[in-house]
Amino acid sequence: MESLYTLWMSTGLANFETGQVVMMLVGCGLLYLAIARNFEPLLLLPMGFGAILTNIPVAGFSEVGGLLHYIYYAGIDTGIFPLIIFMGVGAMTDFGALIANPKTLLLGAAAQFGIFATLFGAIALNAMPGIEFTLKDASAIAIIGGADGPTAIFLASKLAPELLGAIAVAAYSYMALVPIIQPPIMKAFTTEDERKIEMAQLRHVTKIEKIIFPLGVLLATIFFLPAATPLVGMFCLGNLMREAGVVDRLSSTAQNELINITTIFLGLGVGSKLSAEAFLNVETLGILGLGAVAFSIGTASGVLMAKVMNKVSKEPINPLIGAAGVSAVPMAARVANKVGLEANPHNFLLMHAMGPNVAGVLGSAVAAGILLALVGG
Amino acid sequence: MDNMQQQFIEAGTLMLAGMVFVFAFLSLLIIFINTVLAKLSVKFPDAVVESKPRASKKTSKAVSGEVSPAVVAAITSAVSSYQRKHSQSKS
Repeated sequence: MESLYTLWMSTGLANFETGQVVMMLVGCGLLYLAIARNFEPLLLLPMGFGAILTNIPVAGFSEVGGLLHYIYYAGIDTGIFPLIIFMGVGAMTDFGALIANPKTLLLGAAAQFGIFATLFGAIALNAMPGIEFTLKDASAIAIIGGADGPTAIFLASKLAPELLGAIAVAAYSYMALVPIIQPPIMKAFTTEDERKIEMAQLRHVTKIEKIIFPLGVLLATIFFLPAATPLVGMFCLGNLMREAGVVDRLSSTAQNELINITTIFLGLGVGSKLSAEAFLNVETLGILGLGAVAFSIGTASGVLMAKVMNKVSKEPINPLIGAAGVSAVPMAARVANKVGLEANPHNFLLMHAMGPNVAGVLGSAVAAGILLALVGG
Repeated sequence: MDNMQQQFIEAGTLMLAGMVFVFAFLSLLIIFINTVLAKLSVKFPDAVVESKPRASKKTSKAVSGEVSPAVVAAITSAVSSYQRKHSQSKS
């Protein structure tokens, strides 16, 4: 009889807590978004599954000795996984459009206002009962506005590891929602005529420019913001491998096999942070809300900056490309192209929007470096 | 409440410093692209021209050396149809 009781006590049914069941449902929700709605499936699928695994009673996936525990500490706590992914992103990025039209860097800078403005929102939420965000927490939440998954995970793992699960879920969900969140904001801040503006064709960019550019970016980061060198350095390494033309095998590995393998582990590791006690609270709701605010402000400030530049600059600039400054490569650029085509069927903005889009990646890495340098110490 | 006010001030400073720095840093990159990279692109233009004469050489070789089977077939059929027509009109 006693052995039967022991057997019963070792089943999942006897040990389930309500929080675990709810979190498993959250995991299933993420799987649904990934599989049925195609929302950032590469990350949300392993993340959702990780959330299910980590909430299995008795199995102890996220306790010392458990698989997810080690994946988290080896790859995310150390910051290695997001950095490897950033290298892969670098190897996939073509800076050609940016080098051809360097002014678009300013759009990437303007869109980072979403990050810094959200700091206020996070602190204002402290007035609500049940929420207590420190400046470090606020900075980690605000980086969601950078619309860059690896950067958000990297910064959150350094500044607020206990909020990492919610921040990653918010960051990737909103990145998937870019085609829904951005167009109304873009249309609200531009006139029909502005959306019709056609831009001059981009000049040809030589190979030597593409090779020297990542080295120049790295040098500037070394001089002025060493705190951002882990992110920027890995990004530039990936980009140099792509452009050098002599290590195609490495470049191909970085943007395919390596980034894919790392994504599986990153997803699982982030999923392991989706435990009931860390996720089921008011703070998570706050983070989800602030993420949307950060995204919207970033989009709006990018568009407004592009409007100003269009007035000042000799060459016409379509304000829609400013929205691509929030990074979320290449989704945001595609959205700019789509909204542009709606206003003027002959207007292809995709290449023009890629400039601010990749500038946004650099911008959010720099913003993350600033937050690390000023708040992380 | 005092604590929150303090935090707001800190956030404000952070925002100001952050935005100024992001703009300064990316403006620096603009200057870098417009000066260093622009000069480099003039000094070391892409070597694209080389591949063109090679391609034209190949086609001229093909014409002068070996005649492609398609051309042979076309000529043969043209000649034979001409001969056929010619012989028909004679008879």
